[in-house]
Amino acid sequence: MSAVIVVHGGAWAIPDELAQASVDGVKSAACQGFSVLKGGGSALDAVEAAVRMMEDNTVFNAGHGATLNNNGDVELDAIIMDGKTLACGAVSSVKNIANPVSLARAVMDKTSHVMLTGSGANQFAESMGVETVPTDALVTEYERKEWEKHKTYVNGVMEDFNAQWAHDTVGAVALDCTGNVACATSTGGIRNKKIGRVGDSPVIGSGGYADNFSGAVSCTGHGESILKVTLARLIVSHIEQGKSVSDASQLSLQYMGERVHGAGGSIVVSPSGQWAATFTTERMAWAAAQQDELCGKNTSAT
Amino acid sequence: MLPVIVVHGGAGHIPRERSEKSMSGVCYAARAGYSLLQGGASSMDAVVEAVIQMENDPHFNAGRGSVLNVKGDVEMDALVMDGKTLASGAVSAVRNIANPVQLARLVMDKTSHACLTAEGASKFARAVGIPEVSQESLITEYARMRWTKNLAPDANPVESQMGKMGTVGAVAVDREGNIACATSTGGMLNKMEGRVGDTPCIGSGGYADNQTGAVSTTGHGEAIMKVTLARLILFHMEQGQTVEAASDVGLAYMKSRVGGLGGVVTVDPQGGWGARFNS
Repeated sequence: MSAVIVVHGGAWAIPDELAQASVDGVKSAACQGFSVLKGGGSALDAVEAAVRMMEDNTVFNAGHGATLNNNGDVELDAIIMDGKTLACGAVSSVKNIANPVSLARAVMDKTSHVMLTGSGANQFAESMGVETVPTDALVTEYERKEWEKHKTYVNGVMEDFNAQWAHDTVGAVALDCTGNVACATSTGGIRNKKIGRVGDSPVIGSGGYADNFSGAVSCTGHGESILKVTLARLIVSHIEQGKSVSDASQLSLQYMGERVHGAGGSIVVSPSGQWAATFTTERMAWAAAQQDELCGKNTSAT
Repeated sequence: MLPVIVVHGGAGHIPRERSEKSMSGVCYAARAGYSLLQGGASSMDAVVEAVIQMENDPHFNAGRGSVLNVKGDVEMDALVMDGKTLASGAVSAVRNIANPVQLARLVMDKTSHACLTAEGASKFARAVGIPEVSQESLITEYARMRWTKNLAPDANPVESQMGKMGTVGAVAVDREGNIACATSTGGMLNKMEGRVGDTPCIGSGGYADNQTGAVSTTGHGEAIMKVTLARLILFHMEQGQTVEAASDVGLAYMKSRVGGLGGVVTVDPQGGWGARFNS
């Protein structure tokens, strides 16, 4: 029985100056998640650990390092899903917390709901004792400068170049020793988005989906396009039809490109330990770690 | 045979005293949407009109007549989707407007986004000139009564709500063969503040694709989300199943996999349609 974790740090035209930090970031996150799996931990715990690490890493647009909306605020979205029960937790447009993926997990574990938004999500966070983090602590100098720069452009011009926008949403998928799969995705959204804009990340079937019968998926890329084709669920449906994880991903991303002219990326793991990292953007930061036997040797690849 | 519109106003065991009003409400809404279609209007115009009628009708859990969250407030969700382009618009947890489906359509038509939530949705509503309405104007005696009952610690809001206070929705195919869906709701009785159910989540509360068909769902929101019910039914139709068979398979799966009950209205590009429920 394999244990696998695959992690992504965003599908977009990652500029050279961020490339090394992005690769280092996904590798560390994959190792973090993998150590959970190696210790017999669940796929859910592993994806949460990996995504938390990337939320804490300012190079990615999630938690710390998140991008700003058109009001200069940070609004965060996240999802986590358990392939065994199809239980799911998500938060959208939550503010001033460091780890939205953990809040999403709490929604799943501690409430009878799947998704909480806005101030309701924040009130829940407070009731769970989650620490409030000032916006300034979440925003990097780099992001503030980029935000200032883009504010001077007319909105219409920016919208045409969706492939060039930063889409460094983060995510992870994993398969654990007991055969359970899970996924998690977390993001600060698109720079200069309208207040309250919700993209694909926290929407079940779009930003992520996990089902022990077919596999777990986490997506990144142009959020509105991913939503239109419910990308994660589409990939899973191809796997259900017998396609390999790789073919399922490619077909789905290709469809998204042709039908709605959107680019992005996905990571997938199947219950048998097959995995794929696929993208139609210029670049995607990703890493994977796999263990073929419970007590056997480890192999890792990037 | 085109055009066609199918409308729902909630699934479950509708008590006798409510059923007459529910029936006349959905008929009225269907007629309103259908007369637009007959006049050559688009399926999007038709489904939005049908849903607006039901939002305005206090007997449904949408717009006026919405259920209350645990704090006694109204927070509404809505979704529209255009099967030709796959464009969609949604709002979640929006307050103080009469017609969330209209705002969802504006998100689709006037922004480059697909979903706006909470205060952001309200801000956008103001920006596009949608009038703010008092919360009181949206709250009915019935909604308040059910809220009070469900404050009791042993209450079961999910069970309590089935059939009595339904999410509304519509699917349609117009004369040109374009397909659309729309869904609107006040959500779950006594839900936590900020709780978002299936309704505004594309693939769960609804989905529309000219190549396959459209679905609008109602029922236990969290269960619908876990199986992405609307998208699931359309996957079955893509595999060659009829609207009825696909809908039944989807609902049966939701019941067996996650114990959820609900209903759907479904339409295919040829105008074949179904209204199925397992509640």
